Amino acid sequence: MISGPFAFVRTTTFRLALVYSIIFALFSAGLLAYLFQATVGEMRAEAKSRLESEFRTLAVAWSAGGPSRLEQSLLERVLVDLREFTYRFESASGDGIVADIPRMPVEPPEEYGQPRVVIFEIERPGPVGGSEIIPIEALIVRLGDDSVLLVGVRMDERIRQVNRITRVVATAAPIGFLLALVGGFFSARYAASRAESLTKTAEGVMSGDLSLRAPVGGSGDEFDRLAEQLNAMLERLEKLMASTRHAGDSIAHDLRSPLSRLRNQLEARLRGPIDEVSARETLGETVEEVDRVLATFNAILSLSRVHAGAEGKLVDLDVSELCEEMAELFEPACEDAGIAFTFNIASGLELSGDRALLAQAVANLLDNAVKYTPSGETIGFSAILKDQEIEVTVEDSGPGIPEQDLERVKDRFVRLDDARTQPGSGLGLALVDAVAELHKGRFDISRSQSKSGLKATLILPAKR
Amino acid sequence: MHVLVIEDDREHAEFIEKVLSEAGHSVETVDDGAGGLSRARQDQYDALVVDRMLPEKPGIQLVEEFRNGGGTTPALFLSALSDVDNRVEGLKAGADDYLAKPFAPEELVARVEALGRRQSSSEPPVTVLRVGDLEMDLLGRKVTRGEAKIDLQPREFKLLEYLMRHAGQTVTRTMLLEKVWNYHFDPQTNVIDVHISRLRAKIDKEFDHQLLQTVRGAGYCLQA
Repeated sequence: MISGPFAFVRTTTFRLALVYSIIFALFSAGLLAYLFQATVGEMRAEAKSRLESEFRTLAVAWSAGGPSRLEQSLLERVLVDLREFTYRFESASGDGIVADIPRMPVEPPEEYGQPRVVIFEIERPGPVGGSEIIPIEALIVRLGDDSVLLVGVRMDERIRQVNRITRVVATAAPIGFLLALVGGFFSARYAASRAESLTKTAEGVMSGDLSLRAPVGGSGDEFDRLAEQLNAMLERLEKLMASTRHAGDSIAHDLRSPLSRLRNQLEARLRGPIDEVSARETLGETVEEVDRVLATFNAILSLSRVHAGAEGKLVDLDVSELCEEMAELFEPACEDAGIAFTFNIASGLELSGDRALLAQAVANLLDNAVKYTPSGETIGFSAILKDQEIEVTVEDSGPGIPEQDLERVKDRFVRLDDARTQPGSGLGLALVDAVAELHKGRFDISRSQSKSGLKATLILPAKR
Repeated sequence: MHVLVIEDDREHAEFIEKVLSEAGHSVETVDDGAGGLSRARQDQYDALVVDRMLPEKPGIQLVEEFRNGGGTTPALFLSALSDVDNRVEGLKAGADDYLAKPFAPEELVARVEALGRRQSSSEPPVTVLRVGDLEMDLLGRKVTRGEAKIDLQPREFKLLEYLMRHAGQTVTRTMLLEKVWNYHFDPQTNVIDVHISRLRAKIDKEFDHQLLQTVRGAGYCLQA
């Protein structure tokens, strides 16, 4: 799909990383600019205000005491060894000079009393020999008596600081950008790899392996939720596929033999002499056989659909009413067969379920009981609420089922030897099991304690 | 009865025509949905038998359009889809009954005849049903035969009411389970037969003339 040397440009990883780094870089640049302004700008402003205040002090000395007072003040200042400021004062006549700057670095202004800012450099002997160049920012003014005063402040310390800060910023910015790029790359690659793992799962599933599941990280983030949903979907799909396949297998397996039998019967008849009576008889038998095949086919189909969850819209349902109707429906049949039928149905049993399927399941249980319980025995039918679960039980005092066959009878098409003579597809209990599963319940078959026969219990979660 | 069969599978249509004709009904067949709809609108039929899967216009749509256009002829859906959901969908579209393929011929005849009867009995409000000397008072919930009063359980009453409303017609076991008990499944034991024989014991046992007949291989028929 993606190829060529610049294919990586089109990956989400690269794009996300790039966007991430650019945003990070913009933010960092803003932050550094602010830092620079806050430190350097502040330093400059502070130096300037100190210079102005020194300048003002001297100007006041001049206006209060004239040139002599100013000279006095300057002399005191120049004698201090470690001082911040440098001075030069030239009287109008040129003879009175107080200075630590060898000469006036700039032309003094012509007009009087208008201080001007000047910047210049002076060369002076360094502390360890040689000389150093010192940048100075100064205020220069021509005083009323034509004398000139210059007060300067050293800028070298400040410049060094500015340089240091600039250097820090200049180094930090690219490192930050690089780190942002790396961070962006890793976080984007994390996201992309999570997406990639989902893609891989989907690809695997498309190539036919429905058992694949997307890895779930456990952090519960969006990717985990997506993976969980994907897995749930696959679970469902797999179940559907399995049930379809199962139905297909069952149809192939269990319809082939009756159909082959039918075909052979018909062919055998075709070979023999055909008179009206025998033809009629054969056709009648054929129709019966085909009806049986169709009934089995329908049972397989509905069982598969229940298994797949395709059938069954769950609605609020009164199970008590349903069971009472079932009891009423089956009671005469029991009585007719010489079986004592008792039922005990609690009122107000409600659940969310499919009425038709539940009725079919309960009817299957009662059908079974009636079929396999001999005359003179008893059938008990009950529906009760126990631990938030509805238990619908059909038990009989009939011969029951051997212990080792109890689980097996729920499987499809299992018909125990004794049952072969009875009508039925062998799907009845499998359907009950599927209906229980559809309702998130269980189907238990056990030996009845009270009646010593078979006890079949459909356990369904009650409506809360 | 005059029945319109809308079914695209030729063999199946012929089979339905044969079954209904043998039962004494006149049958016309149409093999596509659009044609079926215009025919159903043109002529006065007693019942429509509509396949759900039709070329050009699906059965559901056909019945819906027919009902929206004011058509009142009762309709029966035939479908290979037998789920309860599909049945409900079909009835919602305006059909009166629903029969899953494959079906027994007797079942089809019984249901089509029940449809025709439904329409004619829907006009005057009936409060008393009579079949021979058997009389059912729907308001007083009383049943008498000749001079004798017959006590029925509520379900037996409903069962007899259904049989009386369809007197002279064959009704099948699945129809009874559907219409009287409102359940759609195939009981494997003879539950319905036992209910019928109990009812028969109450309405026929003391009398010479038997009203409730068993129709072999099909169901039951209440007849004077």
